Amino acid sequence: MSPRIRVALLALSGLILLPCAASVIAGLPAFGSKIALYGERINAITPEARHVANMVSAINFDLRGLDTLGEEFMLLAAITGTVVLLRGHRGEGITGRAMRRPGRAVIPRSEATVLACRIAGPLTCLFGLYVVLHATVTPGGGFQGGVILASGTLLIYLGEGYSGWRDAIHSHWLDALEGGGALLFALCGLVPMLTGAAFMQNILPLGTLRDLFSGGLMLVENLGVAMAVTGGFTQLFLEFMEETREAEEPDEPGEESA
Amino acid sequence: MSVLPYAVAAWLFGIGLYGIATSRNFIHLVGCLGVCQSATYVLLLGLGYRWGSIAPIFYDHPPGTPAVDPVMQALVLTDIVVGATLTALLLVLTVQAYKRGGSLDPEKLRPMRAGDKPGQSRGSSQVSDGGRQAS
Repeated sequence: MSPRIRVALLALSGLILLPCAASVIAGLPAFGSKIALYGERINAITPEARHVANMVSAINFDLRGLDTLGEEFMLLAAITGTVVLLRGHRGEGITGRAMRRPGRAVIPRSEATVLACRIAGPLTCLFGLYVVLHATVTPGGGFQGGVILASGTLLIYLGEGYSGWRDAIHSHWLDALEGGGALLFALCGLVPMLTGAAFMQNILPLGTLRDLFSGGLMLVENLGVAMAVTGGFTQLFLEFMEETREAEEPDEPGEESA
Repeated sequence: MSVLPYAVAAWLFGIGLYGIATSRNFIHLVGCLGVCQSATYVLLLGLGYRWGSIAPIFYDHPPGTPAVDPVMQALVLTDIVVGATLTALLLVLTVQAYKRGGSLDPEKLRPMRAGDKPGQSRGSSQVSDGGRQAS
C-alpha cells in the first residue's frame, strides 16, 4: 500500500469517525460538573473503612487489588520480553567495560558532574524511598517511588561512568528484585486464603488514619510493587546500555574512564 | 468550553494516528504511539475532574471534603507504568528490526524467512547473527 493511499484511507475513516466522536463528546457530562458515582462512594467510605488517606493507593492495592496484580504481571511480562529479546541476540557475555565507537572522542567527565551526581544520587534515592513508604498517607506509592529509585541508579552511571555503574548494579539482584516483588504481591493475595479469608482480603491491623503504618496489607503490596518496578526499570536501563557495547571485539581499547 | 478537554483528547489521538500512518521511522512511530496514549490520560483525567474539588488524598483536608474521582487517577497511573514498559519493548523490537533489515523504515520491513541473510546491516549486528543462521 503506497503512503498516499494510506493517508487517503485514514482521512476517509477520520471523516466517518468524526461525527461519531462528536456525538460521543456531546453526550459526555460537561467537564468539571460531576464525577462518577463509584469514585464518589470510594471517597466517602474508604477513609473510615481502610484507614488510609490516599484514595489512589487504596484503589490500587485494596479495592481493585486484583487488577493491580494483573498489571504487575503485565509489567513483568513486558520486561521479561525485552530482556529475552536483547539477551537472546547478544548472549549472556557481560563485561564491565564500556566500548567506544571509533572516531568518537571520549570526553572526560568534569568534576562538577561527578560531584553533582554524588550529591543528587543519594538524595534522589532517599526521596524515592520516602515516596514508596508514604504510599497510604501522601501522594505517591510503589509505582511512582520505584521509578524514582530506578532513575536514581542512572545518576551512578552519569557520575561514575559505565564500569562504576556495572560494579554497583548486578543483573541477578535486579532479577531477584523484580520477580520477588511480583511474588510478594501474589503472596499477599494467597496468604489471606490460608487463614480462611477471601483472596487479598486485608487481614492485617489497619492502623490509624494519616499514620505511616496505616492500611495493613496495602503496605506489603506496595513494597512488592516498589521492588518490582525498581528492579524492572533498572533492568531495562541495564539491558539497553549493554546494547551499546560491542562485546565481540574485546581488544578494542575503549575503557570509558576519566 | 465544557467539551474542550475531550476535544483535546480526540485531537491528540488523531494526530498520533496520523503520525503512525505516515511514519517512515520506527522510533518516530513509537513516539506517535505515545502521543496516542497521552490522549487517554487527558480523557480519563478530564472525566474524573470536578470544579472546586481537592485531590483524593485526605491528609490536609478531613475525609468528606469533595474530591475528584480517584478511580480515574488510579487508571492513569496504571496506564503510564504499562505504557513505559511497552515503549521499551517496542524499542527493543525496533533494535532487532534494524539489526535484521538494516533499516528503520516500516515500508522496507520484509517478512523473515529461515536462512535469510541479515540485509544491509551495519556494525556489530553482522557478527552476532551466527546463532540465528545455524538454527
